[in-house]
Amino acid sequence: MMGNGGDILYRMTHGGRHRDLHEHLVRDPRNVIEVDHLTKKFGDFTAVDDITFDVRKGEIFGFLGANGAGKTTAMKMLTGLSFPTSGTGQVAGYNIWTQSEMIKKRIGYMSQKFALYGDLTVYDNMQLFAGIYGVPRAEADARICNLLERLSLVQEKDSKVGDLPQGWKQKLAFSVSIIHKPEIVFLDEPTGGVDPAARRQFWELIYEAVDEGITAFVTTHYMDEAEYCNRISMMVDGRIGAFDSPAALKKRYGAGSIAEVFDILARGAKRGE
Amino acid sequence: MSSFGYLFIKEAKQFFGNPFMPVVLVLLPVLLMLLVPLAANMEVRDVSLSIVDLDRSSLSARLSDRISRSGYFVLKSVEDTYGKAMDQLSRGNVDIILEIPAGTERAVSRGESVEIFIAANAVNSTKGMMGGGYLSSIVSDFSSEMAASGGNPASVPLRITPQYRFNPHLEYKLFMVPALMIVVIILVGGFFPTMSIVTEKENGTIEQMNVSPVRKRDFILSKVIFYGILGVFAFTLSYLIAHFVYGLAPHGGLLEIYVSAMIFLVFMGGFGLIISNYSDTLLQSVFLMLFFVLIFMLMSGIFTPVSSMETWSQYFTYILPTRYFVNILRSVCLKGSTFADLAFDYIMLSVFAVVINIIAVVTYRKQN
Repeated sequence: MMGNGGDILYRMTHGGRHRDLHEHLVRDPRNVIEVDHLTKKFGDFTAVDDITFDVRKGEIFGFLGANGAGKTTAMKMLTGLSFPTSGTGQVAGYNIWTQSEMIKKRIGYMSQKFALYGDLTVYDNMQLFAGIYGVPRAEADARICNLLERLSLVQEKDSKVGDLPQGWKQKLAFSVSIIHKPEIVFLDEPTGGVDPAARRQFWELIYEAVDEGITAFVTTHYMDEAEYCNRISMMVDGRIGAFDSPAALKKRYGAGSIAEVFDILARGAKRGE
Repeated sequence: MSSFGYLFIKEAKQFFGNPFMPVVLVLLPVLLMLLVPLAANMEVRDVSLSIVDLDRSSLSARLSDRISRSGYFVLKSVEDTYGKAMDQLSRGNVDIILEIPAGTERAVSRGESVEIFIAANAVNSTKGMMGGGYLSSIVSDFSSEMAASGGNPASVPLRITPQYRFNPHLEYKLFMVPALMIVVIILVGGFFPTMSIVTEKENGTIEQMNVSPVRKRDFILSKVIFYGILGVFAFTLSYLIAHFVYGLAPHGGLLEIYVSAMIFLVFMGGFGLIISNYSDTLLQSVFLMLFFVLIFMLMSGIFTPVSSMETWSQYFTYILPTRYFVNILRSVCLKGSTFADLAFDYIMLSVFAVVINIIAVVTYRKQN
């Protein structure tokens, strides 16, 4: 792949990644995530209801849905934060029931809520997360330098993370979540609460990561962002209402945009915002 | 460096980067140790006394003099009738009345016995009781001296000379100071790590840890050990104050004291973890902690002796680790007891520390 600025610009204007003539541009057809009839119940409430899907290596997978549709719950099961009620799944080749510690070594996770240590400096946060993922010291220092430059945070290296503006915090959180070069990065509503320009910059970071071979699993409720994904799944009331590439979905529902597809699907939803 | 190393450094950076916490760490033991023993003192001094001297003899003058020189009493007034003195007492101006009846000197010189009357205001029961006790012991000392110097050996009464072992002056401070050292450990070793973990829960950073390969053992240990070291520091500070300001621990071995303090710190750390495992907010954790800490402090003999508790609550103290720790501290500091003497207490304290930490690790879940 090109991985240069022109490529990014192409994606921004044309939606989604640059694609081959064949529908799926996937460098490796192997699935990095496979989910089979996954269900999570909290008492009588079924947050995630029998979902089945797969994520291919190297793609940007959009996990869409309204607030309360079950996106975060599903993601928590995949990242080893919670156990499913039933069903099974594999992440990076490991079972989510029995091998969650193996999974954790191979994934990055950026929470919906900003979750770096606000009372530590930018540098300290980077060093801490590189350290606990076992990145060797010299290698970690090199990556930190590189990241600081790419994020233009060299000046802010010794500022406390809590004092940074929201847009920078999110870019920093994302960079820290991939500091150990994971196979998959899970991003839970990464662009919530930032302006459109910052959102675009954030997506550039995602593309850069994907170019380095990381698979991105992104939840969002911004339908325009869905267009940047290779494939999307739309969750409605804990179920997967639709699952395909953005272009195929628009064609299937005769819609002009993903937002329209979502409106059609969401009409039947019972869980309000 | 291992994950533990990175996490430990992280704790230190967070703690010392905070403008408030390091100050608390130093001020807490210093203020607690310097202020509380001076303020909360059960010793009775400066009891206001009124003497009703109906005898007006050289003997009554000598007795009055003797009493006011004892240091416990302040002679507020010398009245000529009991009624006037009682008036002073009911107005709160005096705490105790001593009445020397007319004809005392004559009776003493004849070798007869005389009844001296003491009335004490017992609204403040400690002051009344202790003051009355001091006064009667001075009077009986005085009378036996009189009898001895009068050359009448037959009338020298049997004298009781109590000898208070290990705390010869019955200073409440020496009872109080080890208790405060325990309070310091409870606050630093228990509250600090609990608040640190629950803050991570509130901020969501614990979730970031839970999706990482960090072993829960490392995460917990980084906190327990870091705050344990702070606990040892705070304890040392309070020990130094206890030693240099209050002259505590002239007998005890340092090793005995520190081993017990370490075991107790491990207990408090584990206990704090359990609290944080079950609370989602800082408020919740602080209230839960306070509830247990009050029981630990008030029901285990830290401030009031176990032997003067109700029978059922005496048994209850066996399930409070503070009982063993306070017993060790007092015995070592005041009596110079050794490991062998206190084996039972050390073993029980260790059992508590181990069991509570096993529960803490088991109840901490990365995945639910």
